[in-house]
Amino acid sequence: MLAGRLIPRTAVRSSFRKTSLPTVVSSVSRWRRGYASQAEEKDLVIIGGGVAGYVAAIKAGQEGLKVACIEKRGALGGTCLNVGCIPSKSLLNNSHLYHQILHDTKGRGIHVGEVKLDLQGMMKAKDTSVTGLTKGIEFLFKKNGVEYIKGTGSFVNEHEIKVALNDGGETSVKGKNIIIATGSEATPFPGLDIDEKRVITSTGALSLDKVPEKMIVIGGGIIGLEMGSVWSRLGAKVTVVEFLDQIGGPGMDAEISKQALKLLKKQGVDFKLGTKVVSGDQSGETVKLEVDSAKGGKPETLDADVVLVAIGRRPYTTGLGLENAGLDVDERGRVVIDSEYRTKASHIRCIGDVTFGPMLAHKAEEEAVAAVEYIKKGYGHVNYGVIPSVMYTHPEVAWVGQNEQELKQQNIPYKVGTFPFSANSRAKTNLDTDGMVKMLADPETDRLLGCHIIGPNAGEMIAEATLALEYGASTEDIARTCHAHPTLAEAFKEAAMATYSKAIHF
Amino acid sequence: MPPLEVRVRHIFSAGSPVVVAVAAVVAPAYTFLSLGFRTSAASLAAQNFTMPALSPTMTEGNIANWKVKEGDSFSAGDVLLEIETDKASMDVEAQDDGILMKIMQGDGTKGIQVGTRIGVIAEPGDDISQLEIPAEGKPAQAAKLETPAKKEEPKQASTSEQTSAQKQPRKSGEKAPPQKYPLYPSVAHLVKENGLGESAISEMTPTGPGGRLLKGDVLAYLGTVSSSRPEEIMKRFNHNSHLDLSNIKIAAPKAPKKAEKAPVKEAPVPENRLVSLPVSLAAVIKVQSKMQETLGTFIPLSTFLERAAEVANSALPLPSNYKPTADELFNQVLGLDKVGPKASRGRYLPQIAALPPSSFTGVAPKPKAKVDIIDFLASSTTKPAPKTRTTPTQPGVSTGTNFFSLTVPKDEEKRAKVFLQRMKTVLESKPGNLVL
Repeated sequence: MLAGRLIPRTAVRSSFRKTSLPTVVSSVSRWRRGYASQAEEKDLVIIGGGVAGYVAAIKAGQEGLKVACIEKRGALGGTCLNVGCIPSKSLLNNSHLYHQILHDTKGRGIHVGEVKLDLQGMMKAKDTSVTGLTKGIEFLFKKNGVEYIKGTGSFVNEHEIKVALNDGGETSVKGKNIIIATGSEATPFPGLDIDEKRVITSTGALSLDKVPEKMIVIGGGIIGLEMGSVWSRLGAKVTVVEFLDQIGGPGMDAEISKQALKLLKKQGVDFKLGTKVVSGDQSGETVKLEVDSAKGGKPETLDADVVLVAIGRRPYTTGLGLENAGLDVDERGRVVIDSEYRTKASHIRCIGDVTFGPMLAHKAEEEAVAAVEYIKKGYGHVNYGVIPSVMYTHPEVAWVGQNEQELKQQNIPYKVGTFPFSANSRAKTNLDTDGMVKMLADPETDRLLGCHIIGPNAGEMIAEATLALEYGASTEDIARTCHAHPTLAEAFKEAAMATYSKAIHF
Repeated sequence: MPPLEVRVRHIFSAGSPVVVAVAAVVAPAYTFLSLGFRTSAASLAAQNFTMPALSPTMTEGNIANWKVKEGDSFSAGDVLLEIETDKASMDVEAQDDGILMKIMQGDGTKGIQVGTRIGVIAEPGDDISQLEIPAEGKPAQAAKLETPAKKEEPKQASTSEQTSAQKQPRKSGEKAPPQKYPLYPSVAHLVKENGLGESAISEMTPTGPGGRLLKGDVLAYLGTVSSSRPEEIMKRFNHNSHLDLSNIKIAAPKAPKKAEKAPVKEAPVPENRLVSLPVSLAAVIKVQSKMQETLGTFIPLSTFLERAAEVANSALPLPSNYKPTADELFNQVLGLDKVGPKASRGRYLPQIAALPPSSFTGVAPKPKAKVDIIDFLASSTTKPAPKTRTTPTQPGVSTGTNFFSLTVPKDEEKRAKVFLQRMKTVLESKPGNLVL
């Protein structure tokens, strides 16, 4: 009787691991993951669950590959979803609404009473958007059979990746193919210690607990101008310090950049162009910066409650153990790849911010699909000449293709056509008429070479220019395509008309 | 041309492909135009109803059963029949009202090719006794219809142009593929404006993506711009479309860093603690035998233990050296750290050893090098755990008091104690709840 009931100890132990009673299924699999001593081989292992990584994972799942994605943040979506594009757009949109209600209602026949900012509420709205989207990706993983490993991955050798799990414990996975998609991090400013409270990167700029009185933004690129706009609208006195003589980074058309500068100045943002930051001191009550003219000779001291360091981003491969897989990085830390995203080890590919090309989420996404297609079908494609860029200030700035200074520099002949939003009916009725559409085309064949927009809804409108470029359209093709009236997109069509012939409404 | 009376009938649809038959009635004779993905050859008002493709990849299917009898009327939305494929079975709904005149392939017919006639239908109000049953279109033809349907659209726009473009041998040899239609607006405009024919189009050299003819190509053909210009631009675009991977300067390997790392690795030897607790399994055995008597089912002890561990593992206090995860750090950055976990799920499995009733002292025995199951499973090597036992315990499980023990890192001592205490409570007080 007793013997029948009693089970030897070893048997108890083994039955713990093997049983799959419905009530304990989840825990059993969790244990198994935690203690896996034998690495399971996947068709594809992806390190990084950011835009590049998660898109590759889903695509691979759809292609029928056995795929695992390693992410250490604990939430999918990477920088873009968690501390980048998405939360910043939430703050940009809501701070714009707040700013508009404060300053731009009288002319519209709306009388508002007392307007109060609830910063915590604004942050909560942002967090809700972020959580919803990251959970959405987790759902897509489940849907497409992607195994999601929460932990920090590092190469043991070129086939095996060891993962330190976030919940403790360690596991390892082997992959027939491996994709590195570890992304990028904000480049720190030498001499300033980033604490994300007073000296912040874009991450800290998304979650300040109060509106700073004075804020300095080092770097007048897209991230700096967007976050500068947010806090300026919410009441901070913002000064942007930029080394170059132009804002918006090298891709932005110089003429558009000048307009953006003018409009942002009008909104109350201060600019110090052609100025370098020499040193910083954060020991006092405020953060002090010694700045000088880029050429030297005009030293000055600035101080602010908060300093945002937005001088760019750098590839992130810390702790990845690239040396264990024998992979190369270049002098700027980018993982070296060939045209099919293969590293030195041909079964390891690398995509997104951590390798070459512009650090943009949509570029990473394209590469993810192409890399998986190379693995599965032997051919993939990304057209790097047609990748749009958008700056979500107000008005927005967006562009695709080449800009005027580039064409000049390369001695490429071009013709220009522009159309101002002040001549567009929809912009007029919206009382939002700042900006213009500018097109660059080949003077002989009329083929579109680039399009640059500053104005309301530029970020959406650039899609049409991107499509036109992808199809090798001439501006006449755009102009002969019907556009609904009254829409902002008509300005796009009119700019095309202005390029190949003449605009009707200007 | 006489006025065209067009009657469009969406007859059946299930899934994406829609079976469309268009009867264009041109007096005095009937002409039939096909506009849809698939057509049923219509004759007067009676029409063949063919096997629909329920998915893009479906080639054949089985008829499970007809839901409508011969001669019965149906209205839009009624389920006509159920079709089985290798993947699923689906209902086919009527898109329009009608009468099922005849069933050609009865219930249970298997392996019917898509496009094969399976029935004949008539319009509502038709006197089916007066209608003749139309001839069956060739199934092979019908099955192929999907492919020609794609080609048909451009053909209608420019049948003659395309055929001539294909026939015309190119001046410049193998260079240009036949032109894709529709033409870009600017191209179509220039072609019309300059009175160019199809033969002229076929002589142009397309430089657009995918061999598309661009405005510049027409201008080059016309001699308005230099003939090499479009190609130069094409080359530039092709160049820009690739990542510039030239002149990569590979960083020097970080040799010195590795040397630094080496000694660090040796350092941490975690200090382990043994935590143990006597637990009586008497209550469990009692429930077990009671269940066997009353319900006739034997539940092994392992099930009780497993479920007790499951319960005891939930929401254990955090170990004292707990490092927040990246997620929690991110939450701190966002100011969400108040919702961070104060407790986490454990992964403990106790070692169980029977205790001879006489030697129970309540003091945890101190084995020299006892390897816990946690370490055993977590270790990367697969060598079995050494089985040193210096305690007066016996292997196996006794019906009376047992020793439940865990060997854990020092920092987790409290956590492990809570776990064992819970195990004890669960197993000694109400073990019946674990299995009921």
